[in-house]
Amino acid sequence: MTQRTGPGTPASYAVVDLPGLPGLGSLYAKGAAGSLTKRPGTGAITLPTVAYRVTGIATGDTATSAHLDAYCRVVGEPSSDVLPAGFLHVLAFPLATAVMVRGDFPLPLLGMVHLRNHVRVTRPVRVGDTLEVRAWAEDVRPHRRGVQVDLVAEVSVEGPDGPGLAWRGVSTYLAKGFRAPAAAGTAAEPAASESRDDWSPPLPTGRWSLGGGTGRAYGAVSGDRNPIHLSALSAKAFGFPRAIAHGMYTSARALAEVGPARRGETYEWTVEFFKPVLLPGTVDVAIRRDGGRPGPGGGYVYDGWRSGKGTRHFTGTVAPLA
Amino acid sequence: MATTPAPRDIPRDAVIVGGNRIPFSRAGKKYVRASNQDMFTAALEGLVARFGLQGERLGEVVGGAVLKHSRDFNLIRECVLGSSLSAQTPAYDLQQACATGLEAAIAVTNKIRLGQIESAVAGGTDTVSDAPIAVGEKLRLALLAANHAKTTGARVQSFLTLRPKDLAPASPSTSEPRTGLSMGEHQAITTAKWGVSREAQDEVAFNSHRNLAAAWDSGFFDDLVTPFKGLTRDDNLRADTSLEKLATLKPVFGTRLPEPATMTAGNSTPLTDGASAVLFASREWAAERDLPVLARFVDAETAAVDFVHGHEGLLMAPVHAVPRLLGRNGLTLEDIDFFEIHEAFASTVLTTLAAWEDKEYCRTELGLDEAFGTVDRSRLNVNGSSLAAGHPFAATGGRIIATAAKLVAAKAAETGRPARALISVCAAGGLGATALIESA
Repeated sequence: MTQRTGPGTPASYAVVDLPGLPGLGSLYAKGAAGSLTKRPGTGAITLPTVAYRVTGIATGDTATSAHLDAYCRVVGEPSSDVLPAGFLHVLAFPLATAVMVRGDFPLPLLGMVHLRNHVRVTRPVRVGDTLEVRAWAEDVRPHRRGVQVDLVAEVSVEGPDGPGLAWRGVSTYLAKGFRAPAAAGTAAEPAASESRDDWSPPLPTGRWSLGGGTGRAYGAVSGDRNPIHLSALSAKAFGFPRAIAHGMYTSARALAEVGPARRGETYEWTVEFFKPVLLPGTVDVAIRRDGGRPGPGGGYVYDGWRSGKGTRHFTGTVAPLA
Repeated sequence: MATTPAPRDIPRDAVIVGGNRIPFSRAGKKYVRASNQDMFTAALEGLVARFGLQGERLGEVVGGAVLKHSRDFNLIRECVLGSSLSAQTPAYDLQQACATGLEAAIAVTNKIRLGQIESAVAGGTDTVSDAPIAVGEKLRLALLAANHAKTTGARVQSFLTLRPKDLAPASPSTSEPRTGLSMGEHQAITTAKWGVSREAQDEVAFNSHRNLAAAWDSGFFDDLVTPFKGLTRDDNLRADTSLEKLATLKPVFGTRLPEPATMTAGNSTPLTDGASAVLFASREWAAERDLPVLARFVDAETAAVDFVHGHEGLLMAPVHAVPRLLGRNGLTLEDIDFFEIHEAFASTVLTTLAAWEDKEYCRTELGLDEAFGTVDRSRLNVNGSSLAAGHPFAATGGRIIATAAKLVAAKAAETGRPARALISVCAAGGLGATALIESA
C-alpha cells in the first residue's frame, strides 16, 4: 500500500478528469446501491489507484458567492473573500465521494464512520480564484473495529505557472467488520484513541444549543444530505435514536470560533470524532490556546462534549502555519 | 516600555452635585408598563426638581440603555425633551453593557475637566419588563430581502422559504454572543476556577440586603430616590433574609460543571427595571447656583479581558483596571475608604478580591511584582449593592456614583480628612469600568 505524508497524487495513480464536480444526491443513490454488494470478505482489500480531477472551477460567480455566504452563516464564519477551510472541504467532498462509490472501491459508502479529518491550508483561496480539485483514496490499514482508509483531496489555485497547492484534506473513515491486509503492517490505531475512555471534560468556554434543524441547515450548505443528519425518522432507519449533527459542522464551527484573526491565512485544522451529537442537543465546548497565553502565533485546541455529561463528541486543533 | 497613561495637569475638577434614581423594581412587577424613556425621564425630572434646574440649559445629558429598541435611537435626547430642562440641552446615547452608567459619567466629567462644558447629567435606564422583541433571524432576512426586491414576484418569493416556526419572536438574551454561555454560566466557571464557596457567596448576599435595608431605614436614600409608580423602596430588598434562608436555595448556574454548583437566585442579581441620573458640574457652575458639592470625580480606568477562549473570566476586567487606576494616582487599596464593587453576582465580588490577594495571578496577569492587596471587608458596599437593590443594567452606575459621593462627603465631614471611594463595575463582553472619587 501507498504510504506517504507529502502532498500530491501518488505516482502510481492514474489521473482521470471529470467534466465537473459531481452532485452528491446521485452519488449517494449510487453509493447506497453499491453498498449492498460491498461486504467483508477474506481476500486483500485493494483500493482503486485512480485520482479524480476537475479543473477550471470558477469561484467568482454569483452562485458560489451566495453559497459561501450561506455556508458562513451556518457555521459562524465571518463574511469574507477568503474561502474558509471548511468551505473547501465542502467543495472537494463530492469528488472524494465519487471515488468511494466507484465499483472497484472495496468498502461500502453507507455505514462508514468518519473517524478524523486533517486539513492544511498552505495558501489562502480567494473568491475569484479558479481551482483544480483532485481526490483519491489511499492507505487502507487495520483498525480495532475494522479497517480505516484515507480519502485525500487537494485544492489548487490555477495560475500562469500551473496549479499551486492551497488546501489538502485527509478524511479518515472506518469500515466496520472488514479485515485489512496483513501486508499493511501499520499500528492498529494511534495511542490517543486507546485512552479515549479516560477523558474527563475541562471547564467549558462556550455552549452550543443545536436545534433540531442543524443537520438540515448544514446539509443544505454542504450538499451532504445523508439521511442520518436530516430527521429523527430518517436517522432511525440507520440505527440512530435521533438525527445526528454532521461531524464536519461541529469541526467547522470550532474553526470559525477560533476565527480568521487567530488562525491566520495558512493553518492546520484537525478533528477526531467520538460519539455523535444527537439533535436537538446542547454541546459544551472548550476552545482554548494550546498551553499558553493568548496572542498571535499559537495554536488552539478544542473539545466538545454533551452538556452536563462526560460524553465526548470531538476534539481537534487549529494552528497557524509558521 | 509601552506608553501608559500618567497623571497630567488637569485643567480643573469635575464635581458630583448629587444623584437621583427611581426605586429599582424586579422585572415583571411595578414597572411592567413603564418604558426606558418613562423611567429615565422620571429619574431626570427628580434630579431637576431636587436641584432647581427647570429651564436650565445643561452642557450635556448622556446615558443609555442596554436593552434598547431601535426606535429609541435618541433615547436620552427624547428624555431631555420630555423633561423640564431647557430643550437646548444636548444629549447623546451611549452603551457599554452594565458599565453604561459609569462610562457616561467618565465621558461627561472629562468634558467638564477640559472646560468644554460646565454641567452635565450622566445616567442610564433599563427595563427587562418592556424589553424589545425582535423577529427571528430567518424572518428578518426574508423581510430585508422583500424590502430590497424590486418586483412583487420577487417580494413574494422572499417569504416562500419561511416555515411557521420562523415567525416566532426572538427575545433578548443575556448570553454572550461569542460563547453562547449566559453571564451566570460564565461567572460559574470563574467561581469554580477560584474555588469560591457557597457560604462566602451567601454571606455577601446577606450583607448586601442587611446594609441596604439599614441605609433605607437611616434615611440615606431620602435625597437620592424619587418614588415612581407607587414604589418608594427597591422591591428586591429583603430586609428579613437570613443566611439560613439563603442556604436553602437551589443552585441555578454552573449546574452542568464538574465542580459543585454554588450560585443561586439569592446570591445572583435578579433582572430588574429602573433608571438613575447624576448631576456633575464644574465647581464654578455649582457655586453660582448655590448647589452642594459632594465629591470630586478624580479619575477612571476601563479594561477588557480575553474571555472568549477561557483565558480570563468574563467579569474580571475591573480586576485589571483597578491596579492601573490606583497606581496612576499613587494609591493602594489601603487608601480607599469605600469600595463600591458592583455585585453582578456575589461571587464576582469574591473572585475580584481573591484575584487581588493572589500573588501568582497578580504577577502573571496584572504585571505586578506582588499581590495587589486585601480589601477591608468593613469598607465594602457598606450601604448594600446590586444583590439587594437589583441591577437595571445601565442604571447601576448612577446608583453607585451617587451613593459613593454621599458616603465620602459624610466621611470627610465627620473626620475632617479627605475620603475616597473606588467604584468597580463589570460588564458583558469582558468589559469593566472603574472610577476613583474623593470628597470635595
